[in-house]
Amino acid sequence: MILPALLLIPFLYIILAILIKSKKVKTWLSFAFSLINLGFAIWVMAQVFEVGMIKTQMGSWPAPFGITLVADRFSAFMLLVSALVFAVVTLYSIQSVDTARIKNGYFLFAHGILMGVNGSFLAGDLFNLYVWFEVMLMGSFILISFGGERAQLEGAIKYLILNLISSFFFVAGIGILYGKMGTLNMADLSQKIAQSGDVLSQLSPAMVLIVVGFAIKGALFPFFFWLPASYHTPPPAVTALFAGLLTKVGIYSLIRIYTLFLYHSTSFWNPVVLWIGILSMVIGVFSASSQYDFRKILSFHIISQLGYVVIGLAFYTVAGLAAAIFFLGHNMISKTNAFLVAGWVHRERQTLNLKVLGDMFKKNTLWGVLFFISAFSLAGLPPLSGFIGKYLVIKAGIESGHVSVALVALFVGFFTLFSMVKIWIEVFWKNTPPEVEAPVNTKPLPHGLMISASVILALAIVGMGVFAGPVVNYCEMAASDLLNTELYINFVLK
Amino acid sequence: MELIFAIFIGLLYACGVFLLLRRSIVKVILGVFVLSNATNLIIFLAGGIKRSGSAFIPEGAETIDPAVISDPLPQALILTAIVIGLGIAAYILALKYRYFEETGTHDLDQLSKTDRK
Repeated sequence: MILPALLLIPFLYIILAILIKSKKVKTWLSFAFSLINLGFAIWVMAQVFEVGMIKTQMGSWPAPFGITLVADRFSAFMLLVSALVFAVVTLYSIQSVDTARIKNGYFLFAHGILMGVNGSFLAGDLFNLYVWFEVMLMGSFILISFGGERAQLEGAIKYLILNLISSFFFVAGIGILYGKMGTLNMADLSQKIAQSGDVLSQLSPAMVLIVVGFAIKGALFPFFFWLPASYHTPPPAVTALFAGLLTKVGIYSLIRIYTLFLYHSTSFWNPVVLWIGILSMVIGVFSASSQYDFRKILSFHIISQLGYVVIGLAFYTVAGLAAAIFFLGHNMISKTNAFLVAGWVHRERQTLNLKVLGDMFKKNTLWGVLFFISAFSLAGLPPLSGFIGKYLVIKAGIESGHVSVALVALFVGFFTLFSMVKIWIEVFWKNTPPEVEAPVNTKPLPHGLMISASVILALAIVGMGVFAGPVVNYCEMAASDLLNTELYINFVLK
Repeated sequence: MELIFAIFIGLLYACGVFLLLRRSIVKVILGVFVLSNATNLIIFLAGGIKRSGSAFIPEGAETIDPAVISDPLPQALILTAIVIGLGIAAYILALKYRYFEETGTHDLDQLSKTDRK
């Protein structure tokens, strides 16, 4: 009964936050609940580490009929990393988000997102996955438009309409799939598809619709336009939360359905997914290098980095999938931390335009070091987690015979480095341009909680790089579980 | 019956996409509503359309022949999708209203600020 707890903890907070009036209690309760959630995620991880998979049949209805919650090694890993990211961003938000937003229920909607994310990682059937997607999206719709600044509303409209369209693709796919197969339980579907090989060609329309839905949610080429148009508009803490959690759920779902359904017709899907990954990598990184806004550069890099995960999936070997899983975890942590640093810069200078920033390293060395760690982890410098992630992806590519793809991945790495060095020089190293007036408030704002949040993530980045061995081993186990579809089917149905 | 239904859904999708491509934000939002309903109807169609009884097991009997009842699951799915759609519709209209208050415009072409460098 440990899995439903991950859904009930955020839900309980939402109810309490409606009832409690005091802002202070609400705030600290939110942090406490995020820690409880982290504790449960660790517990799930500990259990899954021993037995491989755990499941709960809600309402005791047996598998293909009831609602099933499943956690295998891959979901447990994602649950743990997202719980960590969420707890850290909550700590950061206590100081970073303005009083008006917190009073109006900022943490309430953040927990709504957490509930949706946890649910998506645990969902055992497709329609449930859709419902959790919507829970997550509803929270994110509100957070992105929360506060009602003009740019925010504009970003929110784009974000909202494109994400709704992606949901329609997904639901239409589910409808067609149900019409053909008569079940929506993922394990049952996978089994039925495996048993009747000829049905596969009729399922292609449904699969294409579902994959397009996930690709829009995961901001992959050519469906990524909503992401850089909206992610730089809300407060930085919100962007950090979105960057850490939302697009990753789309990619998680893509990996899940790829290993359960799409692997039957690899001759079609492998090149498609491979090209989506390559183009996301290349176009994301090129678009980023032409930008001059701190958060916009990072937003385009989200697209580019997810490309690495997708090519890891497209190699479709144990090494490739393990690399994809590792990279996903690394990216959630490093990207969130980069946005946390952006939040501090925004707080000090009220702008994130690289042209008017400067001197930030002099202002606070520790934040400079924190940015250095997360940015150069994203660029893939040893001994940080990004180096291991890229090394694994490229190695898996060469081993599975995709040498040219591996070369593209290396090439994209250089451009990532270029963008990160650009931010480093423009924001932290150069002097503030003389024509820019010095900031009015010389007294430093309090940022103790913000910096401790960022330090935790930085330690996680370094830890994932230095002690990569056990993590990589775990990812390999998770990957071989994913490739062994029978294991998942038998576990869920029996 | 199924053919008529399929054509009708196709028409709804066409209307929805047409509305999505308009310049007025209100029409785009209406397009989203039309698409959402078209999608719900796909699930309905996927469950199969037939004249048959409701999915109750008669008193005293243990089971019922699946041929004489219609599949209740798609209806449950649509119900869920409608509720979610309603919540989102309320939210998106409120968002549009707020945007209109802030800027006084319905024109999608004015929404290019966040895409510029």
